[in-house]
Amino acid sequence: METPIILETCSLNKRFGGVTAAENINFKVRVGELRCMIGPNGAGKSTLFSMLCGIQGADSGQIFIAGREVTRMQAFRRVKLGVGLTFQTNRAFHELSVRENLAIPRAPVKSAGSEAGAARFAYALEVFGLDPKDETRAAELSHNQLQWLEIAMVLAAHPILVLLDEPTAGLASDETSRTAAVLKHLNSTGLTIVVVEHDMAFVKEVAQTVTVLHQGQIFAEGTVAEITSSEQVKSIYLGRA
Amino acid sequence: MTESLPLALSLLYQLGATASFLFLAAVGLIIILGMMNIINLAHGELMMMGAYVATITHHAGLPFPIAVIVSFFFVAAFGAVLELVIVRRFYGRELGALVVTWGISLVLGQGALLFFGPFMPSIKIPGGSFSYGVFSYSVYWLILMLACALLVLALWIVYSRTTYGLQAKATMQNAEMAKSLGVPTSRIYTLTFSFGAGLAGLSGALLAPTATIAPFMGQQFVAPAFITVVVGGATNVIGGAIGSSVLLAAVKTPIGMALGAFSGSVALLVAALFIIRIMPNGISAQLQKYLDRRAQGGWR
Amino acid sequence: MKSIVHLIGGEADIGHTRWFWIGLAVAIVLLFFYPTQVSSFRASNVAFYLLNVPLGLGMALLWGYCGVLSFGHVAYFGIAGYLYGIIAGNMPGNPLGPITGMIGGLVGCGLVAAIFGYFVFYARVQKWIIPILTLVFTLLLETFLGQTAGYQWRVGSVLLGGYNGMTGIPWFQLGGLVFEGYAFYYFCLVIVIACYFGLRMLMNSRFGQVTIAIREDELRAELLGYDIRARQAAIFVLSAMLAGLSGLLYVQWGNYITPSQVGLLQAALPVVWTAVGGRTSLLAVVISTLVLNWLTYTLSSQGNQYAMVIIGALLVVTMMFFPRGIVVMLAETIGRRMPRRTRAET
Repeated sequence: METPIILETCSLNKRFGGVTAAENINFKVRVGELRCMIGPNGAGKSTLFSMLCGIQGADSGQIFIAGREVTRMQAFRRVKLGVGLTFQTNRAFHELSVRENLAIPRAPVKSAGSEAGAARFAYALEVFGLDPKDETRAAELSHNQLQWLEIAMVLAAHPILVLLDEPTAGLASDETSRTAAVLKHLNSTGLTIVVVEHDMAFVKEVAQTVTVLHQGQIFAEGTVAEITSSEQVKSIYLGRA
Repeated sequence: MTESLPLALSLLYQLGATASFLFLAAVGLIIILGMMNIINLAHGELMMMGAYVATITHHAGLPFPIAVIVSFFFVAAFGAVLELVIVRRFYGRELGALVVTWGISLVLGQGALLFFGPFMPSIKIPGGSFSYGVFSYSVYWLILMLACALLVLALWIVYSRTTYGLQAKATMQNAEMAKSLGVPTSRIYTLTFSFGAGLAGLSGALLAPTATIAPFMGQQFVAPAFITVVVGGATNVIGGAIGSSVLLAAVKTPIGMALGAFSGSVALLVAALFIIRIMPNGISAQLQKYLDRRAQGGWR
Repeated sequence: MKSIVHLIGGEADIGHTRWFWIGLAVAIVLLFFYPTQVSSFRASNVAFYLLNVPLGLGMALLWGYCGVLSFGHVAYFGIAGYLYGIIAGNMPGNPLGPITGMIGGLVGCGLVAAIFGYFVFYARVQKWIIPILTLVFTLLLETFLGQTAGYQWRVGSVLLGGYNGMTGIPWFQLGGLVFEGYAFYYFCLVIVIACYFGLRMLMNSRFGQVTIAIREDELRAELLGYDIRARQAAIFVLSAMLAGLSGLLYVQWGNYITPSQVGLLQAALPVVWTAVGGRTSLLAVVISTLVLNWLTYTLSSQGNQYAMVIIGALLVVTMMFFPRGIVVMLAETIGRRMPRRTRAET
């Protein structure tokens, strides 16, 4: 049985000058999915994310979140609908303490207060070893702690859909597999997660469905096995397509 | 028809004069902003310096056009010193640069007051005037319009045809990359700031015959220059400056003629607020988008 | 009660040690006793230094804590001052006149700031545009006020007065108590203390945390669900009302105001106080506002024409060599020498 659609785009387009960042993107994610998005550098993954959460507007097309059209909605309002996002480069508030970083996301979001959300947040704090009373400045944390802090910050608002842009960038392999395990567990509690990743080992570890972006278009979509065995997908990574 | 032609010509002349004034007031500022992302709040004082140099050298016997050129080089040299000593510490710190250049402007304005006193005899407006229909025209303002056109042409040549222009554009796009390709970026910054300062001096000198020469004369250029720059934006420097001068002149001229100079200035600010509400990155960003679209059309 | 202590003592300003609090208490006590030892003329001078403090605090709030720079906050100083003059001047002999003027002045400058803030923050303009537009705004206000000479420029019975300014502005009054002389000094002192502790508590509250988070990274804050446009506009209005408060006290102090109060030179001063003190510390800005006002007054009262050159040069030197502020950097040097309690204990 298929669950309802939580995120959908209809023929989304975006250009920067003469460069196509997104062309006719029709993208669908269902509740409870853990979707990975891969593609070579410049394929349009980050642009798609920034359009989904409202940092950039689309030139044309529509975006729906949980059945509501959000194409022209301000970013902070989409967050209130339950969308959380981490950035490709870590953007925890480095000048603030861990406590403040974890306290700031909670206030504004209406969906906060859900029991499942509280349980996920508590779980993330525990496995990532974060203390919500910790007065250490975030700038003093190590890179992996910062990456985990940002994921925890997003979970603090009890989101229903989480977009993670390369959450394992710069992590060592044991830290990567820990992140993978956490995401899998969060997903198993019903949280919908979309992850942009380069690390194929990570993708094989976590993903159910993989979407391949190439030159601003959806190039292929399928199970991990289908995608990893596809000659066409291999060829775009080697630059032959 | 016979009565509407002189009126139309007079309106066109007023419009041209206002646009030239705005363009001259803003050009040095916008070069420094667009190329270096530095807002030079000492801009008005650099124009004041240009006006003083032109006035002093002209009273000392130099012909006015030569005095204007001397102003350009004098203020450009001063700008180079400013860049080397102070401004270069503030790259990448927009607000810091704003504040420190404001400090410089205080020192320059007050310094001029202490050094030259509150008043200096100004330069007589060259060229006289003539009338057509019931309207009169100042020859000097017509010369200034021509000077603006020449200035635009000169800027276009500098930034599209010279090595410096090429290197400056590369540095603006990506300083790290330009540096690794052997562009002397720090010298480019010094030259650009010096060039922008020189243009401020040149504008100050050109406008000197139309203004009262006083230590705080720079202040009268501050509001129009900055509004022009805000509306123009920093994406396409020269295009933005031209577009914004003409647009703002089109707002200011009729309102100023109908309701007086102060209402014209208020209209400038109100127009600027509305324009940035619609186009937060200014006219030049809009212009760039339009050019991009046309370029795409060309490829298809 | 405990939460108030926590709010006052939090991390949003310098000074957390016991010696700091003792020093601050001694300073406040000394300020309270100062008028008993000096002439009312000297007390009035110090009242002038004090009345500028809310303007400085407003700048620190906006620039240091919110990351938005305004070069035209004296506009709100002037708007509130002129409004007070108009309202209180039109209610002569009425004991409610001054308080109506105070409220009218604060509401008026808050409204103007809200309209201005709507345009710039809801347009999400680039950071450098706001200082420019605020500066242009105050220059236009000066031009406007300058051409209001003559009898046709009057509101009720009050003349705006052009470049000569508005005169005969009444003292503040509560019931039968008129705040002039020593009473005005205490009025200013109480307002300054209330503003400082109020802002310190506000910045230590959740509201303050979010303000600092927006300063650190607007986009990250927005993607945690905060409407940064509304937050920045709110801080802008609050800081404009602090500037307005200074304007109200100023017109009560001197009983007059001229358009040059909203001119370019005056506009520079709050920026200088804030930069020299250290914009990320409220207390440092209080100190620098008092010291620099004393310096400016002393220099210019001795007929020293270099006052503004020195102030300008001080700004340049601060920005070049003490970018975080001279008072803040001095405080940190002293703090390192003294035994400090760790953050966890405070």
